[in-house]
Amino acid sequence: MEAHASSFVSKARTAFHSAAAKAERVLMDFKIDLDSDKQFHDEFGRQRGDESARSEKFLDELKHIKWRPPHIGTKQDWQDRINNMRKGRKEVEVTDKVGDVSMASAPFYDENMYILNVKNDLDAKASEAIPSVEGLTAATKYPIPPSSVLKQLAIAIESGRQTNSMKDFVASSRGSSPAREKAGLSLSSVKALVLREKEDKLTSEFSSDEKVVYLINSLFDQEGEFLKRNSDPEETFISSLPRDIHGAPLESLVVKLAEVIGNFKTLREMSLFWSRVVDELRKHWSEEKHLPGIPPDDIPDLKSCLLYQQFQVINCCISRKKRHIIATESLDTMVMEANSNALESANYTGKIPTGPLLYARLRTGELVLRLGADCPSGDLTLLETGEPAYSPVTQEGPLLTEDLIKETEEFVLRTGSVGAGCSQLLSDMQAFKAANPGCILEDFVRWYSPPDWSESEGSTEDRDSSYGGESMSTRGQLSLRMQKEGNLWRELWETSKPVPAVKQAPLYDEDLAVEDILDAFEDIQPSELFGQLFVSLLSFGFAIAETMLYGDLDLSKLFNDCKEYIVTTCQSDRFNEKIDELVQMYETVEKMLLNPDEALKMKHMEESTMTTDESKRRFSTGEPKHRFKRLSHIFGGKDKLLTRPVCKNEVNDEETQIRHSFSSFFDSKSSLFSKKPPKPGNLYPAEQPLSLESDRTVI
Amino acid sequence: MSSSSGQSSGYDLSFKILLIGDSAVGKSSLLVSFISNSAEDIAPTIGVDFKIKMLTVGGKRLKLTIWDTAGQERFRTLTSSYYRGAQGIILVYDVTRRDTFTNLSLVWSKEVELYSTNQNCVKMLVGNKVDRDSERVVSKEEGLALAEELGCLFFECSAKTRENVERCFEELALKIMEVPSLLEEGSTAVKRNILKQQQQPQASEFGGCCS
Repeated sequence: MEAHASSFVSKARTAFHSAAAKAERVLMDFKIDLDSDKQFHDEFGRQRGDESARSEKFLDELKHIKWRPPHIGTKQDWQDRINNMRKGRKEVEVTDKVGDVSMASAPFYDENMYILNVKNDLDAKASEAIPSVEGLTAATKYPIPPSSVLKQLAIAIESGRQTNSMKDFVASSRGSSPAREKAGLSLSSVKALVLREKEDKLTSEFSSDEKVVYLINSLFDQEGEFLKRNSDPEETFISSLPRDIHGAPLESLVVKLAEVIGNFKTLREMSLFWSRVVDELRKHWSEEKHLPGIPPDDIPDLKSCLLYQQFQVINCCISRKKRHIIATESLDTMVMEANSNALESANYTGKIPTGPLLYARLRTGELVLRLGADCPSGDLTLLETGEPAYSPVTQEGPLLTEDLIKETEEFVLRTGSVGAGCSQLLSDMQAFKAANPGCILEDFVRWYSPPDWSESEGSTEDRDSSYGGESMSTRGQLSLRMQKEGNLWRELWETSKPVPAVKQAPLYDEDLAVEDILDAFEDIQPSELFGQLFVSLLSFGFAIAETMLYGDLDLSKLFNDCKEYIVTTCQSDRFNEKIDELVQMYETVEKMLLNPDEALKMKHMEESTMTTDESKRRFSTGEPKHRFKRLSHIFGGKDKLLTRPVCKNEVNDEETQIRHSFSSFFDSKSSLFSKKPPKPGNLYPAEQPLSLESDRTVI
Repeated sequence: MSSSSGQSSGYDLSFKILLIGDSAVGKSSLLVSFISNSAEDIAPTIGVDFKIKMLTVGGKRLKLTIWDTAGQERFRTLTSSYYRGAQGIILVYDVTRRDTFTNLSLVWSKEVELYSTNQNCVKMLVGNKVDRDSERVVSKEEGLALAEELGCLFFECSAKTRENVERCFEELALKIMEVPSLLEEGSTAVKRNILKQQQQPQASEFGGCCS
């Protein structure tokens, strides 16, 4: 085709060039004609005759090309034309040339138009695939995120069940088929290598896309203005729904992430964007920058989704690292200052140095620097030395997300280990010794476990008693259980050394914890990620709607029915089977906010279909299953009637767009939506150990 | 001492129970008294410990995993992990120490609300050490009133004399079985465990043990 185009282009160029040259000559001839002189009339007359003949010829040619000369010509010219008409050969020749020009230009033009159309098409596809910050910001004018976003996440959940890795989404977009993958090891290996190269290139292109960069920057902007909806500070009503269904707090990073990812048109782009997000999380961690929209120093909230908990851990670990650095520097400074003071003190014997340094005097009179002392422990004093007892700075406990809690519990059940408690107790003992030189176990117990110390009624205030044993026995004693033979507390006490918390081996390693989380993000199962994003966005929309419908008695009743259905469904183990219905509930609420009259009409239809008895039964708390079954029937049936065609069309449109996009970009067919999702029975094979469905199968 | 452990197919339901309350109110003694007949002083719990008991109530054979927690404040972060998924929570106080009773509403009921992930879990208030009646400072009526306020079952018992000890746990188990969602959880846990056992036929049975 290119050769053909080249030929046509060449011919066209020749034709136009020839025409231009001829036109130029015609103009020159006309000029000469006007300048003719009468004295040389006879001589020029003969020459003029010749030139006139040629002019006539040119005029004919130019006329065909639609170029109009300034002078039509004289009578003689017309006669010459008539003479030329008798010569059929020349006329035919001119016609052929004109035909060539027409034929040459047509394909040339089509080819240009074709290229232009293709380019426009590609640009349009690229623009549509990646949502823009402006587009998403404009969508925040609606009270809750559009249901199309939630629907896209639902599609992702369905597709994600068939795979264990987000990378499969990127690879599967190549249109690879299972049959080809089974062809052979070598072929499979080569194919994998090729796909990986393409993946890397595509990922790189996607990440550097201007829109993606802008999306990432807006999402992680510390100001937190991106995708903000509730700007009414007076609103004090807080919905419990996000925590009831294990979603995420309003306006949190998880909710915004769900809204952004749900706006992508293809699973591949959703996956690529998630990879980009994980890269950004790594960057924040290495630069010790808190994630926006996540509390900076809270322990994981087990009533929120795991993703939110993990984000909390990242932020909390950043805060802890900063505190640890400050505490370490503070301690080092204190020790250096103490050493410096010691030198000076040697020169001035007996002089006690002043300053913020804390010292404790032993019974021998020796002064020892307190390390890691936090604040005085009430009016508690050390038994043997009489010095005030200080609470030490202690290590902070582990940050356990729900998955780690489960792991830990199973570990303890399996091994009977009490290591975690002992490690913490030992750490606290060492910190206490460092902050309270001259202390004994009884001092620690009085601070740590007051009920295990009982004051003797015969205690005296005499601190200068030279009989330590007698003094101790008269002032109090440990509890019987603490005095028992082989008590682990005493063994740990004997083992512990005076080491301040910041210098101890960490009970909880922040670096290790966050690395584990980021690795888990990279290997997360698609259905697990999209499932959490789905629930977070669902709870977000419902929570806002609840606030807005709070005062509307008519709509809030219908809303509460939807809400109860959602809470029950999300808390049950059949969540995966009910995603379509959850989307329908969301659409109903969306309708309540955007078109209240239609929603009320629906409500009226609902009420008119119920008899008095059914109404009573429906509101009875004794039959919750019947109630929700009824609710499911109502919304399932009606929503199907009212919205099924629209949903179907939208899904078809999406499929069409995706197929067209694939054919345009890669000239291959997409298998993403050509297959129906596997039936529920196939979703949970018996091999999956923790699957609830498998448990039923075993029965 | 050894505690009994069940066969994977030897029980119908499996429940997780948590013991919380101030230090030295007798949580560990209560548990040991229920598991065996021992009434000796128990060294203070370090972190968490657990014991497993097989029980038959209401015609059902139950496996109870009972978690014992240290009551000291410093251990609170560590023990808070074990509230997750508990179907039953026992809040223990000492009838001879009023502060342990006061802390149930000041501290421990708030911990339950904060860390429990099971909204329907059954809670029980237990006043221990009733054998020391001459030192009693919290009356039974006060205990009943607080239990009603917190939505808990209520028992007074003595780990030393074993008065009401078995009844506490049996009553708790019965109440748990009356809650449909908890019953479902108990049944699910058994099935999940059976599946694990089948996948690891060589794995030894786990059971409670003390270090």
